[in-house]
Amino acid sequence: MLWRALLLALGVLAAPAVASGQQLNLTISPLLVTFPTTDPDTAPVLSAPPVTVQYRVRGNGNRPWLLTVQASGDLISGLSRIPASAVTWVATPAPPFRAGTMSSTQAQTLAAGNGNVNPTTTGTVTFQLTNSWTYDAGLYLQTLTFTLSTP
Amino acid sequence: MRKTLWKVGLSTAAVVLLSSSAAYAQLATQNINATAVVAARGRITLTGAINFPDTDPFGNPTIDAAPLTVQALARVAPGASVSLTVQAGGNFVSGTDQIPIGNLSWSSAGAGYNATGTMSSATAQPVGNWTGPGANNGSQTYTLLNDWAYAPGNYSVTLTYTLTSP
Amino acid sequence: MNTALVTSAVILLAVVVIEAQRGITVLLVNLPAQARLSFSTASVTFPDADPTSTPLVASVPVDLTISVRARVQTNSQVTLTVQSTDDLRSGVTVLPASLITWTVTGSGFTGGTLSRSAPQLVGRWTGSGVRVGAQNYRFENRWTHPVGIYSATLVYTLASP
Repeated sequence: MLWRALLLALGVLAAPAVASGQQLNLTISPLLVTFPTTDPDTAPVLSAPPVTVQYRVRGNGNRPWLLTVQASGDLISGLSRIPASAVTWVATPAPPFRAGTMSSTQAQTLAAGNGNVNPTTTGTVTFQLTNSWTYDAGLYLQTLTFTLSTP
Repeated sequence: MRKTLWKVGLSTAAVVLLSSSAAYAQLATQNINATAVVAARGRITLTGAINFPDTDPFGNPTIDAAPLTVQALARVAPGASVSLTVQAGGNFVSGTDQIPIGNLSWSSAGAGYNATGTMSSATAQPVGNWTGPGANNGSQTYTLLNDWAYAPGNYSVTLTYTLTSP
Repeated sequence: MNTALVTSAVILLAVVVIEAQRGITVLLVNLPAQARLSFSTASVTFPDADPTSTPLVASVPVDLTISVRARVQTNSQVTLTVQSTDDLRSGVTVLPASLITWTVTGSGFTGGTLSRSAPQLVGRWTGSGVRVGAQNYRFENRWTHPVGIYSATLVYTLASP
């Protein structure tokens, strides 16, 4: 009996979370987002080309869903850094998308809602960087991780 | 659950990007125009006093005053002539008594200063001549003829110096 | 009974796993070295004055405000210099550029004497940033200067060697 119970539990764990759980799909493009190069007097804020966020939530009933974004660290070029918090964004459609400020320590809410999102819905995020003469010259990079979840 | 498939692509892109170096701008320039205005002007500086103490004409037929320091400052065009003259306002006067101004003469020292001269109230007398801008320093020592015919009194006269450049 | 309890507990554990999907993008910011130099005015004038009463003539305006904006590699030096293209010239008459001197206000700025033969240091800093200061120019006024209106072009150069 015990062996049968354990086998049953393993079967529950091994099967895809479809019949009894939510199904989440998330696609981010492009892979690389490049800010334009302009001096701070001309452009005190730099705007990157828009990032497309395609997401789908199924089997969620009336429960909440959450889309967050977090930087893996500050923008880095050798020894030089630009704080992640210098990056902000605006997003559409609002709601469920909302504007925000990047963080490397805590995931920031990009969009939130309740229930299902079906069919796949597209949002657009435009990242902006405060342009400053105090930044060192360099080629700065950082990874942003988007997470779609149903907490 | 779908697995993200772009981790490999990300690594490749990151390697390509990190291998390129940022451009290094070196220079910005700007011009400012500077202008200095130097206009024609002149200044005469006289230091000292011309006093002739009372002395016995028998032993002192002439009386010398202490030297007068003269500075003729002129800012003129290159090669322009500069002249300094002096003219008396009349004779020496003490009440109704007079001493002829022609009894007053001088000797000078300094580059461009005339060696001697005799005062006049009718015409300006040359003191010095120069060419071009500069500070022309010299001195004058005035001499008064000491005559028994002078009536006692305190005599005075005004001398006017004029610096000109045509 | 115990078997049923164990079964229930295992199934319960299976359904509390949080569902999540992740996506990634990479931000790229290319900040090349850049510089911008700006002044409060494009010209300064030394008015005529009596050399005895005013041996040093202040420029008009009195302050030449300078804004230095530079974005450079970390810890790179940034220098601002000035050099006259010629002596002060009025027709064929020339006065030495060295008759013009300056004092300054503002951190990193340096006083000096104008030269036509070599750039003279006006300011020196380290790293990127915005620096604002002012130069106060003076012209040495002499009775020996021939009459004229003298001019020269001052070339300011901002560099990160």
